Amino acid sequence: MSSHSKAAEKFIADRPRTDWHNQALWFVRQKRDNMARSIPEWEALREAAARTKMHTITHLAYYLEMFERNATANGIHVHWAKDALEHNETVYNILKEHGVKHLVKSKSMLAEECGLSPYLEERGIEAVESDLGERIMQLMHQPPSHIVLPAIHVKRQEVGELFERELGTEHGNSDPTYLTHAAREHLRDKFLHADAAMTGVNFAVASSGAFVVCTNEGNADMGTSFPKLHIAIMGLEKVIPDYDALAIYHRLLARSATGQHSTTYTSHYKRPVEGQEMHIVIVDNGRSKILGNPVHRNMLRCLRCGSCMNTCPVYRRSGGYSYSYFIPGPLGINLGMLADPKQYSGNVSACSLCMSCSNVCPVKIDLGEQIYSWRQELDTLGLANPVKKGIVKVLNTALGSPGMFHFCIKAGRLGEKISPRGLLYCGANAWGRSRELPEFTARTFEQIWKEELSSTASCNTETARKGSSTNI
Amino acid sequence: MTSKDTILEALKANSPAPVERGPLGFTPMTFQDPLAKFQENVVSIAAAKCFLLQDGESVDDIIRRVYPDAKRIASNLPEVTCATVNPDGLDDPRQLAGTDVGVVRGEFGVVENGAIWIPRAVRHKALMFISEALVILLDRRNIVNNMHEAYARPGFDDYEFGSFIAGPSKTADIEQALVIGAHGPRDVTVILL
Ligand code: SF4
Repeated sequence: MSSHSKAAEKFIADRPRTDWHNQALWFVRQKRDNMARSIPEWEALREAAARTKMHTITHLAYYLEMFERNATANGIHVHWAKDALEHNETVYNILKEHGVKHLVKSKSMLAEECGLSPYLEERGIEAVESDLGERIMQLMHQPPSHIVLPAIHVKRQEVGELFERELGTEHGNSDPTYLTHAAREHLRDKFLHADAAMTGVNFAVASSGAFVVCTNEGNADMGTSFPKLHIAIMGLEKVIPDYDALAIYHRLLARSATGQHSTTYTSHYKRPVEGQEMHIVIVDNGRSKILGNPVHRNMLRCLRCGSCMNTCPVYRRSGGYSYSYFIPGPLGINLGMLADPKQYSGNVSACSLCMSCSNVCPVKIDLGEQIYSWRQELDTLGLANPVKKGIVKVLNTALGSPGMFHFCIKAGRLGEKISPRGLLYCGANAWGRSRELPEFTARTFEQIWKEELSSTASCNTETARKGSSTNI
Repeated sequence: MTSKDTILEALKANSPAPVERGPLGFTPMTFQDPLAKFQENVVSIAAAKCFLLQDGESVDDIIRRVYPDAKRIASNLPEVTCATVNPDGLDDPRQLAGTDVGVVRGEFGVVENGAIWIPRAVRHKALMFISEALVILLDRRNIVNNMHEAYARPGFDDYEFGSFIAGPSKTADIEQALVIGAHGPRDVTVILL
C-alpha cells in the first residue's frame, strides 16, 4: 500500500466528513466553471497564459536581472537565496538588524517550503499568521491542508472550540461571522504592534520592479501598513515580463482559485513609503534544477491557484494530510517528486489519471501526464513497489502466449469456484478490500465471439460498406 | 561566487530553447454600456454600494446619508468637507485606528471585475485598510472594460503603492461561508462623480 492510501484510510473512515470535504471543494470547482463560462475568451486566455509563462521561464535570468535592476532603482533591497537555509538566514539577519521580535505574516507557500516560522521561533521571533485560515491552522499547531484554503478540512464547531480556548469567544458559538470578527479583533492588535511585516509575492513585474500580492481579507495590506519594515519573499518563477502579462494572470488567478472575478485586494508594491524599508528575497531552492528537466519543467509555470486540488477526485476524498509532501493534490505530487523522489514517491499513486487537473489549470500544466510519467520512472529510480512488479512479471508470462493465456483463464475460473472466500479476500488482495470481485461469466469473450459475433460483425461491415458506397 | 551569480548561471545552463512570446491571440471582452455594467458589478460582484452623484447633490450628502452615525471621518480630499480629520496630519498610521469612514480617490474602475485602481495619494496607506468603511470617489468617465485595458492605461506605472480594490474585505475560511469584514473595511461605497 502506498503512503497515501495508508494515510487516506484514516481520513475516509469518517464517511460523512469525507462527503462534506468532497462537496466543499466541488462547490469551489463549480464556481470556477461559472467564471470560465462567463468569459468568451477563456480558453484563449489560458493559452496566452501558458505561452507567456513558457516564454518567461525560457528567459528567467534575463527577467530576474531586469526585475532586480528596476526594483533596486525603486529603492527596494533585493536579496538572492540558493536554498531554504539561505532564505531563512537572510530573513533572520534582516529581522535581527532591526531588532524585530514580532513579525506579522501573510500567507506564503514559500515560507512553508523553507520552514521559516519554526526557524524564526527557535531564534526568539514570533511569526503570526494573519490570513484567517492560516491563523486557525497555526493555533491548531497543524500545517495547512490546501494551498489557497488552508482550513478547508476544519469544521466550524472545531474553530468555535479553538477560539473559545485561544481567544475567549463564547462557549458553543460557532457562527462563522461571529468567529471571523473575533479573529479580526485579535489580529488587529497584532497588526498594530508588529515590528515587521512579511508577505509572499504573486507576481513580480520585471519591467517595473513592482511586485503584486493578492488577498481577499486585506491582511497583507494591513500587515504592511504599520511597521517600518516589509520583507517580501518569492520563488524565482514568480517573475513575469510586464503589465501586459500581468493582465492575463490577474484575470485568471482568482477565477481559477476561488471562482471570484478578482481578489478583493490586488496590491502593487513598487516603492517603500516614507520611513519604511522594503526587502525582497528571490529564492531558487531547486527551481533552477527543475528548469533543466525537460519532462517536468512545466511545473515552473504554476500560479499556485489550487484549482488542480479542488477538481481532483482523489484530493477531494482523501484530504490534504494524506499526502506526504507539504503541498497536496496533483501539484504536490509533482513538486514532491521533484524535491525528493525517495521521500515522496508514495504520492504518485494518488491519481486516477482522469486528467481533470490538466484541464482546469490556468497555465495549462500537464499535471496528470506528468504524474503518469513519474510512475514510468519509478522503476529506474529504484522505487517501484515490489508486489506490483511481481504481479506485472506474472501477467507478462500469463499473457505471453495464446496457450498460456487459455490455460490461465481456465485455472482462474476453477480457482474462483474452489477457493474459499477467506483466501480470495486475503490481505494481499488490496482491490477486494472495499469491493467485490466481479464474477467470471459463463462464456469467455473469445467463445462468444467465435460462436455468435464474428458472423454478425462481418455482415455489419458488409452493410456499412454498401451503405457508404450508395451515399457516395 | 555570490548566490545571485550561482542562481543565474544555473538558470542559463539549464534553460531550454527560447520560446517566443507571440501575440495575445484574442480580443478581450468589452461591454456595450460600460458605465451601467460597472455600477451593476460594483454591487453584484464586489458587494459594495454604488451611487451616481446627482445634480445639486454633494459628496458630503451621500456620505452623511449612508453613514449617519460616523463620528470620525478621515480624508485629505478638498471636496469632502464633512471630514473630521486630515489623515496627512498624523505622524503615526496607528493613529488612524478608530476611523469610522475613510474617503479616498480612485483613478479608474474596471467593468469585468468591479474593481477600482487606487494609487496611494494619502500619507499612510493604512487609511484604505483600517477604516471601518471606505468611500471611493471616482470620475464616471474613467471606466475601462477589462484588465488588459487597465494595465495599458498611459501612466499606469506611476505609483508607489496601489491596489485594485473590489468591495469590502472578505473571507470564506470557515467552512466556505462568506463573511464580510475580515481585516479591512466592512463596507465600501463608490461615488461616481
Ligand atoms: S498547477 Fe495549475 S491548477 Fe495547480 S495550482 Fe498551479 S496553476 Fe493552479
